[in-house]
Amino acid sequence: MVKRLLTGNEAIAEGARVGGALFASAYPGTPSTEILETIARQGDVQVQWAPNEKVALEVACGVSLGGGRALCAMKHVGVNVAADPFFSASYSGVGGGLILVSADDPAMHSSQNEQDNRHLARAAKVALLEPSDSQEAMEFVALGFDLSERFDTPVMLRVTTRTCHSMSPVEVDPNARYEPVLRPGYEKNFRKNVLLPANARMRHEAVEERIAQLEEFGNSERALNRIEWGDRTIGVITSGIAYQYVREVLPEASVLKLGLTHPLPRQLIREFGAGVDELYVVEELDPFLEEQVRALGLHPVGKEIFPITGELDPDRVAEGFGIEALDTGIEPVGGSLPLRPPVLCAGCGHRGVFYTLSRMGVAVTGDIGCYTLGALPPLESMDACLCMGASVGMAQGMEIALRAAGDTRPVVGVIGDSTFVHSGITGLINTVYNGGSGTLLLLDNGTTAMTGHQEHPGTGVTAEGEATIALDYVAVCHAIGVRRVREADPYDLEALESAIREELAADEPSVIVCRAVCRLVDRTPIADPAELEIECPGCGTCFELGCPALDGSSGQAMIDPAVCSGCALCVQLCPFCGLRIHGHEAVTPEPVA
Amino acid sequence: MNPALERPRNVFLTGVGGHGVLAVSRVIAEAALACGFDVRRSEVHGMSQRGGSVVSQVRYGTRVHSPLIARGTADILVSLELLEALRHLHALRSDGILLANEQRITPAPIGDLTVAYPDDPRGICEERVSRTIFLPALDIARELGEEKAANMVMLGAYSVLAPEIPEAIWLETIATAFRPRFRELNVAAFGRGREVAFRSAGAEAAP
Repeated sequence: MVKRLLTGNEAIAEGARVGGALFASAYPGTPSTEILETIARQGDVQVQWAPNEKVALEVACGVSLGGGRALCAMKHVGVNVAADPFFSASYSGVGGGLILVSADDPAMHSSQNEQDNRHLARAAKVALLEPSDSQEAMEFVALGFDLSERFDTPVMLRVTTRTCHSMSPVEVDPNARYEPVLRPGYEKNFRKNVLLPANARMRHEAVEERIAQLEEFGNSERALNRIEWGDRTIGVITSGIAYQYVREVLPEASVLKLGLTHPLPRQLIREFGAGVDELYVVEELDPFLEEQVRALGLHPVGKEIFPITGELDPDRVAEGFGIEALDTGIEPVGGSLPLRPPVLCAGCGHRGVFYTLSRMGVAVTGDIGCYTLGALPPLESMDACLCMGASVGMAQGMEIALRAAGDTRPVVGVIGDSTFVHSGITGLINTVYNGGSGTLLLLDNGTTAMTGHQEHPGTGVTAEGEATIALDYVAVCHAIGVRRVREADPYDLEALESAIREELAADEPSVIVCRAVCRLVDRTPIADPAELEIECPGCGTCFELGCPALDGSSGQAMIDPAVCSGCALCVQLCPFCGLRIHGHEAVTPEPVA
Repeated sequence: MNPALERPRNVFLTGVGGHGVLAVSRVIAEAALACGFDVRRSEVHGMSQRGGSVVSQVRYGTRVHSPLIARGTADILVSLELLEALRHLHALRSDGILLANEQRITPAPIGDLTVAYPDDPRGICEERVSRTIFLPALDIARELGEEKAANMVMLGAYSVLAPEIPEAIWLETIATAFRPRFRELNVAAFGRGREVAFRSAGAEAAP
């Protein structure tokens, strides 16, 4: 055995390999993305990027039914999308072991909410595992497959951003050969796998029995649930990353460390509760453990001293316990520092679209991706961003309400290529079917950009790097019944604006595909960097683009040629014709709109 | 068996997307593991490639639990940019060391344009932190022919403050952590950073 430093995500991938997974699927989403990427890099387990989490889980369920072990990874909100197969797969149970990895994002480092998916495992009545570091992340995957098959249940492995993206040592066997664990001899089982009401009623009985057996298992399985006796004046029940903070802050305390958190080992909890003077529950987000511990008649202290929002950390845990820092450290430098938020890259194809929309007086329903940055200053051209694919349906709904109120403002939906495939297509079908008339801008940058450039069905490349059939967006839109489908160059502001105006004027649904490959995928300069030909009078017009290649700190525009991609949006805006770019002869004398 | 470092070493690293902060923290973590220490390393992904602030934390010692450093307990703050150093000064314990690249990167012109980049970030750091080491890492990297190697210059300087990790382990880790064609450059940049930090007034023994 050798010790390797792995992130939680890499450890989950290693667990899939040593656990004999035949198949892994995912839709990218922070903080889960690197799980499938790592499995793909290892080259053993078969991998697929799915168009969305529901499909990813359905394929995994099929693999499990056929007798192979399958792992399916997604971010917390992805489980909402996959909830339909997830809840019913609980009734069918498994053939080969089935693990759904739910990567939750407390503190919302890169998410729209911080829902606690432990509730979903409990609601679906499946086994719930919570590793607290990379070693456990790897072990719990292998153990999870065994549990899944032994108790005939899908398993949710719930991790958080801090476990996914933290590295800690993992003992791995460098000589371990990959061998998929298979249950050969598939046999049809109507009563178990066809969830007709009569069958499902019987399956529900089986689910309840299974939960009782799992609880019994959890009471005695020390690899998952263990008491670490220490100072018995304080006893802490905890799970996941919170365990590490508790160990850090209260090294002497007695701890009940839970790895299997649904169903809870009630007997073990009672034993622990009876063995300590004061009982605490330390957990991130909701009082999931705490409320169930209370239901046992115990009286733990929990959310009254630990926050229900955001991430825990050693400071928040110490504060809860009333432990003061020995060293007051250094005073923070006041709030007068300029912020450095993420921005659309120099030359990003989304910039021209949002600049144009910001000047057209339209309402814009947005979506999930890099282009959500278009909602921030100075572009500020997005009215809403809710969830994957919502831009399409919300645009139609908003139009209904605005028209009812006599408001004639046009509504534009904006969606990325990967998001369109994920769940925008069904929204567009709805728009056409129900007689909507809005315009949808499909920003096609040829990749799943925000999560770090994963392939998707529109890119023509699989997760294993093989060439495949690329989805044809224009053909899809036509097939749905959208008659007005056109392309527009997002780097040509005038043409883009007139295309949007024309489509908004039409009394039927329309789609404009704005194609520009992500700058982080193709860094080839679009043209030479922009240059100033006259001394900049400092009107600030070009700063409205929010381009990181433009420095306005002196009041005048300065272009960083190392950052500038030559997209020439600033050239098109400069009212003094002071900006020039090689190869761009026609400079518009007036700013657009 | 892990070597003795009863109180874990807490290293807080910061910079701007594209700087290579995460590469530095990764090498520190791998080198510490190679020495037999228990290690935790944390980072937040997401939008770091898009010019935002980047933070990573490394902790190593005989036994480490939390991947996050408690506020005011970092032994060393390594910053690849001066504004980001100011933003995170309070990560340091009161007698912690600031190791900063002298580079300034002006944030993109978005948000509140009236909040200017501080005139004298170095002065503010020196006022608050008892031990500071400033390095022209970008200039040194340019001399070596590759701006991107500034992060390895900073790593070299860090190594001087971390005598618990021998030089041979650093060189071995750098050699295996990156693609072979960058090896020579990275080793050279590391060596230059080490030299400059040794010469610098603040570079006596580590805390």
